[in-house]
Amino acid sequence: MSTTENTPETQAGICPLTRRRFMKGLLAAGVLANLPCGLLRPTRTEAGEIVYAGDYEIFRNACPRNCYDTCSIKTYVKDGVVQFIEGATESTFTRGGLCVKGYGYTRRPYSPDRIKYPMVQEGRGTGNWRRVSWDEAMDRIAKKILQIQEKDGNLLGLALSKYSGNFGITNYGIEGMMSSLGYTTRLTGTPCWPAGIDAQNFDMGDMWCNDPEDMVHARYVILWGGNAAWNSVHSVKYVYEAKRRGAKIVVIDPIMTQMAAKADEYWQIRTSTDGALALGMARHILDNKLYDRDWVMANSVGFEEFASYLRENVTVEWAAKESGVPATNIIEMAEEFATAKPATIWIGYGLQRHVNGGAAVRAIDALVAMTGNVGKVGGGARYGHLRTWGFNYHALLQKQPEGAKGVPGKAEVKGDFHFAGGNDAAAVSYSDRILNINKTAQVILDANDPPIRMLWVACKNPFSQDFDRNKMVKAFEKLEMVVTVDQFFNETVNMSDIVLPVTTLFEEWTINASYWHYWLSINERAIQPMYETKSDIQIAATLSKKMNALKPGSCTFPTEIDSKEWMTKEFNQGIYDLFGIKSWEDLKKGPAKAKMPSAAWHDLKFGTPSGKYEFKSELAAEWGNKALPEYVAPREKTDKYRVLTPHTKFGLHSQFINLDWSEEFNPKPFVYVHPQLAAEKNIKDGDTVRVFNSIGEVKTTAKLSTVVPSDAILMYEAWFRNNPYNVQNVVDDTSSDMGAYKTGQPGVAIHDQFADLAKV
Amino acid sequence: MKKHYGFFIDAERCIGCFTCAMACKNQYHQPETVVWRQVYPISEEIYPYHERAFYSLACNHCENPTCLNVCPVKAYYKREDGIVVHEQDKCIGCGNCIRSCPYGAPRYNPEQKKAEKCSLCWQRVDAGLKPQCVQSCPVEALQIVDLATFDRPDTVQYPPGFPKHEKLNPSVRFVVPQLPKVIGREDI
Amino acid sequence: MSNIEMPLVLFSVLSQTAIGLTIMNSGRQIAGDDFIGEGRRQWGIVLAFLVTGMVASFFHLGHPLQAYTALKHLSTAWLSWELLGVSIFLCLALFGFFTEKEKKSGLVAFLTALVGLLTLVFMGMTYAPPGYPALNNALPMVFFLLTALLLGTSFSAWFTPSEDRSWLCRILTVSLIVGLVVYLIVPCIWLSGGTVMAQTAEAWIESPLYWGRIVIGLVLPLLLIWKIKDIPPWLPLIILIGELLGRAAFFQETVHAASNIGGL
Repeated sequence: MSTTENTPETQAGICPLTRRRFMKGLLAAGVLANLPCGLLRPTRTEAGEIVYAGDYEIFRNACPRNCYDTCSIKTYVKDGVVQFIEGATESTFTRGGLCVKGYGYTRRPYSPDRIKYPMVQEGRGTGNWRRVSWDEAMDRIAKKILQIQEKDGNLLGLALSKYSGNFGITNYGIEGMMSSLGYTTRLTGTPCWPAGIDAQNFDMGDMWCNDPEDMVHARYVILWGGNAAWNSVHSVKYVYEAKRRGAKIVVIDPIMTQMAAKADEYWQIRTSTDGALALGMARHILDNKLYDRDWVMANSVGFEEFASYLRENVTVEWAAKESGVPATNIIEMAEEFATAKPATIWIGYGLQRHVNGGAAVRAIDALVAMTGNVGKVGGGARYGHLRTWGFNYHALLQKQPEGAKGVPGKAEVKGDFHFAGGNDAAAVSYSDRILNINKTAQVILDANDPPIRMLWVACKNPFSQDFDRNKMVKAFEKLEMVVTVDQFFNETVNMSDIVLPVTTLFEEWTINASYWHYWLSINERAIQPMYETKSDIQIAATLSKKMNALKPGSCTFPTEIDSKEWMTKEFNQGIYDLFGIKSWEDLKKGPAKAKMPSAAWHDLKFGTPSGKYEFKSELAAEWGNKALPEYVAPREKTDKYRVLTPHTKFGLHSQFINLDWSEEFNPKPFVYVHPQLAAEKNIKDGDTVRVFNSIGEVKTTAKLSTVVPSDAILMYEAWFRNNPYNVQNVVDDTSSDMGAYKTGQPGVAIHDQFADLAKV
Repeated sequence: MKKHYGFFIDAERCIGCFTCAMACKNQYHQPETVVWRQVYPISEEIYPYHERAFYSLACNHCENPTCLNVCPVKAYYKREDGIVVHEQDKCIGCGNCIRSCPYGAPRYNPEQKKAEKCSLCWQRVDAGLKPQCVQSCPVEALQIVDLATFDRPDTVQYPPGFPKHEKLNPSVRFVVPQLPKVIGREDI
Repeated sequence: MSNIEMPLVLFSVLSQTAIGLTIMNSGRQIAGDDFIGEGRRQWGIVLAFLVTGMVASFFHLGHPLQAYTALKHLSTAWLSWELLGVSIFLCLALFGFFTEKEKKSGLVAFLTALVGLLTLVFMGMTYAPPGYPALNNALPMVFFLLTALLLGTSFSAWFTPSEDRSWLCRILTVSLIVGLVVYLIVPCIWLSGGTVMAQTAEAWIESPLYWGRIVIGLVLPLLLIWKIKDIPPWLPLIILIGELLGRAAFFQETVHAASNIGGL
């Protein structure tokens, strides 16, 4: 890849990038003949303000983050510099707007904090970084890999930690790079949503949600354990429209969320008792014959067993006692829900991050199914879908080098986004070593045959997103080399030996699909990569070149690739047909929507072994769960108060919050404490407090807030660039009940955490 | 009839997501500490749930703008369509408008040593586009309206929590936020 | 105002001192007071205060070289009038300084005082913006008049033989008492006002600047005058320090309306 553009170098002197200097950068860039837009002259007011000037070159981008909305972006470029962005108006989902996070992208490539060059740190955590050339960085990395191969006779000592930092389809080339080196150790699974995925697979044979845009047809909407107003802002308009058309909107959540404030009713539930509430409603619906008998008879198996379970084990009073929701309200809502047609439940990811989370999702699925709302427009148990992800995974599928050795036998790499299976399945005699990403620290500590010697981190920030941070520190001490590919000097980079600068969405080609809505977007290269940044697949190619130079045949990844061409290789006729496009070029005109009926399971042909909705799932039993959606007790308290660490509106996991633009509106983290609990602990608003348990502590400023229940402590997960705040200090790696079946590993009971707090 | 642009802030629809505020930053790249649009949480005396209702405010493009009146160098002018424009090249950075505006709309730009404020994206408006903040709002809670014809009956000009300055006559209309029915836990 | 605005503190206090001194000067000339030989020195002191203040004021501008353009908006901007007033006042004071010889120029002093008084009114209007509910009234004008009175009277003592100072002492004593009453009562009135006024009151009451102005600028001078029964030459300086502290409190501790948006 060329790094000769003057643009990045011109911009390199811009720290911090002021508007004035930004202008100078623009003018300097404007004279460059190699930029297609170099001829456009900037229009400016005399005072040097940036104003809307018109005549921009427009590119198509897409937000690649792990988010429901996966927004289609229009990028307005002048003189090779991103001037501003907007949501694509062609997408009825994005509808011209992005979110508070997305609009910060305009700043991201030009942030003074960006990692600009490959760098080597002398002593992890010292901050003693030294700029090196790509050649030197690759030389160090390749030699280490060859050394591991030499020592162990295989590459199982090389591990990959990658998840959702960039969901671009070509970013699966990172896994491809690992395969092209040999059989390696893979940290697989997902910390996000696996329990719910398994639950929906047991019940229906796949995870498949209705088009969110069809929510407007619902007569009754329950948003259960998810805060759409922060985490899917573009879906809220459909909830509002349903409400305007007469639907009742109910939010069930332990926290009085922003979505709750916009509902007709908000039910504060005891955390992790969602299954009990759903089953209590189901019992009342059953007793009063409000369920859809015809639908159940025609389209399900195991309903009788489920009904018996309800009669024998569940009462409304019991559900009220478990969940904290008054029995009268449970009865009222059960009746309303069962009689409103169609009715829908949006199952948030929060409610399945529990030791009984998968069971809770199954209970809620059952509620939706027994009322005949599955397969209906405006109905459905909405969780997510991967129906629009049928790409070729060209970047992902790479062959191991000749003679590569690994774990004997065939082991399938599973994951929420692993669609393509292995290559040449019959011929495989070795496999990767599969370890649980949700216990990253523990598995690094435990793996000894061979030990994990080298960790490659990409699209991931383990120190912010993996659990039990203090254990992670110990685990990293065991690693001989850590290479992290990132954009900012976050905590994981801080604990790495080598950091490689990666492109932003504007600087590379890829494709983005959503796991929620039905739109597909292309992501064009809108500007040349800044500084010496490279995309993940270009890094793979660079590494391959070095590997092959040092030891020919040691890496099968192509040594020269054209990113745009690689993007086009991901498309196939199935995708074209699904989206009604002739070629990928059509996406340059705007995002396309899948030509699918809006109702998931509209044909009522389920993917289960029986082909029907399975109230009783033998598959669930095979995977160690109850066959019926029975109630599973919550995790026992391990400390005084529950700790909840959900998403903030200003960030997506550890991304966005560190940007200076974001700090303007969200400068520091807080711990939210109910005034009653605060009074008991003699904590006043603004006091510094310590949240602590057996694995660690978090110290930050208290905000007194009645939106939090008085038996819980609320902290939003975040990475601030100038603050050691990290909620993973007090979140352990206890597994949730499901996830292993479809994603390879069980999830994590992120919200089953407990701690005490004290004024500092 | 002459147009009279103003902002319509539907605090019942508003989810306090700050998208509008960041969309503005995205368009104008204001330096640190300068924001043209801010999202203000409504205090618990007015809306009982902490940080759950908001007013998204920028310049209110007042009918009788104090910024314009007090500016000693005539850096402000009001367009026919009601948009109050600050011409930065005339500004000498005296700070008088910043002190004067009770809505905190003009801000001091420490790099240019001048004031600046929301322009209602008049260049975009003139190009037939919506202001960036308005276009960005995912729930249509923020809109640009023509107050000469705007007649939604459920709106107010001075909701609780928004400073009342009748003399300035801010060109804004609000819908106030409603409360959900709350079913609290019985066990705590 | 969350910013001490030192240039404005110096400008407003020093220019008001100059105005106060001129008014005293004019008053005494009209009253037929005879202090031949002191006139030019007095103009010099007036000019010294004024020019120092004006130089300081430039430092509060982002672009001081364009300061002259601030005269452009006489139709509605009190700040333009303030600048006009101060400029005319400066011209008259210079004229007074250069024409003052052995003969008294009562007319010039009178005109200068009149312009000064008007300038005080313009200043009072300039610093009474809607953005500061506690000050969006006649209070700034009252404060500025008090400053002019206190410092004008006390610095006048420099040009008055000690045997003639008793009436100055009386004026100063009464002014100090009035000032003390005003400055003690104002925060109490604010406390009963709206949220931002009450916040301003609390900020003032909690501010060492405010108490510094009360003690150093008002109480201490009162005690000293009561004790000494004269205005020693260093006393105006003490009052000046008090006024500067008070003005710093005025700028720093007054709460802006925008800080309470969303609140009642």
